[in-house]
Amino acid sequence: MNAASVEVDGVGVRFLFDRYRRVVSPTIARLRRHVTETWGLEGVSFSVGPGEGVALIGPSGSGKTTLLRLLAGVLTPDAGRLTVRGQVGSLLSVNAGLLPMLTGRENAELLGVLGGLRREQTRARLDAVRAESRLGDAFDRPVSAYSQGMRARVGFAVAEQLEPRILLLDEVHEALDHEFRNEVERRCEAILSAGGIVVAAGHDHPMLARLCSRALLMRGGKIAADGDFLSVQSEYVLDP
Amino acid sequence: MLRRRVEAGRVRADVLLTLTQADLRARYGRGGFRLVKWLLDPFALLGIYLILVTFVLDRPGEAPGLSLACAIVPFQLVMSTVTNSTGAIQARESIILNMAFERTLIPAATVLTETFAFIASLSLIALTMVAYGVAPTVALLWYPLVFVVNVALAAAIAYPAALFGLWFRELRVFAISLVRAMFFLAPGLVPLSAASETAHDLLQLNPLTGLFEAYRDVFLFGQAPGAWDMLYPLGVAALLFALFVPVFRAEQSQFAKVIE
Repeated sequence: MNAASVEVDGVGVRFLFDRYRRVVSPTIARLRRHVTETWGLEGVSFSVGPGEGVALIGPSGSGKTTLLRLLAGVLTPDAGRLTVRGQVGSLLSVNAGLLPMLTGRENAELLGVLGGLRREQTRARLDAVRAESRLGDAFDRPVSAYSQGMRARVGFAVAEQLEPRILLLDEVHEALDHEFRNEVERRCEAILSAGGIVVAAGHDHPMLARLCSRALLMRGGKIAADGDFLSVQSEYVLDP
Repeated sequence: MLRRRVEAGRVRADVLLTLTQADLRARYGRGGFRLVKWLLDPFALLGIYLILVTFVLDRPGEAPGLSLACAIVPFQLVMSTVTNSTGAIQARESIILNMAFERTLIPAATVLTETFAFIASLSLIALTMVAYGVAPTVALLWYPLVFVVNVALAAAIAYPAALFGLWFRELRVFAISLVRAMFFLAPGLVPLSAASETAHDLLQLNPLTGLFEAYRDVFLFGQAPGAWDMLYPLGVAALLFALFVPVFRAEQSQFAKVIE
């Protein structure tokens, strides 16, 4: 198995806006007269090697989520080069990727297949997802009735089934209760000790410090600091 | 190389089926009531015209209710596909924002979902055949081909509809009304033979015209559908595929930006 790695070289992500400040795609931008652009990420370069946990810290709107979406393949770079090696598991949205009309079980099946598992593999693992999410009977109830924490549990349990070498977390883990947070931390440690990578963004710095030895400070779509967690965190706290 | 292609094809099929299964549950619910909803959907969509033409206007002509059903049923697939497709990307916002997968399968899943529902709505034709005492003929053997044309046209419209719903979300209702207008700009309420000479030629530009006439040929007149009736909608479908699938493919990397 190849070692997990992330190489980000001068990457930029551009957002185009129409005159009403709505984001438009490049195709529509060609049809509109008044279009402005903003770079959500600009000239971002860093690399992450096997066994490394990296925290993304910074104020809201600084580009943390955009960077995580880029690493997950949800967005593609508009400039620069990005290479991600290894199966990615991601929890990037408040809904943890779940569709509210479906039950936890149905969502687990959908996300498993979208994550790259075969249908029969996913079905075989559903009981394991149910057990890991610790939702009991609620696993077979529609997700619309779930709390944010319950959604995060299912999302995390599914991401686990994909056996990720690279785990991406965006604040979702902060919605979890104390007991499940410990479980998340245990899983992150297991991924790291097996040579995987964890990249987590959030505002719960004590938890991030436990997951990650390194941090990137994001400001205005750029990396303002890159170093060990405590020094980068103190730079952010001194000048938020 | 071949083995890798086969494996990739299997993975795509898995994703398509799973997206469809999820869509069926989200759109049509679960259990026995789902079938009832499927059966009632064509009536709810345009069934009122069936009552109007058959009972209120008492139109002359051969089995006017069945003739109308031969337009309502194929239109049902196109209409429900457009309705579903215009919101298909937004409906999957949480997964689009969370993980990478082939988004070009979303409109395809939408069509597959509506095709399942559509198969149930074929009972409307069977019901009206019984009501008018129209016996099935050997022309029914043409139906699989007509069905393929129907699905191809719906699938081809799904891609521009999904993009339109994303790009111009405030115009979604307008788009649906526009497609509904296409029903009336085709020989939906009456067969093409009952249209005026000027209208006759113009109506043939609408790809739905050939489709409706093909259904009438198979179920009502007991004859093989005309080649033009089949090839013209298929040609329009091919053109829409050629134009919009590449655009959709290029746009899919932008969905996460535009969707929020």
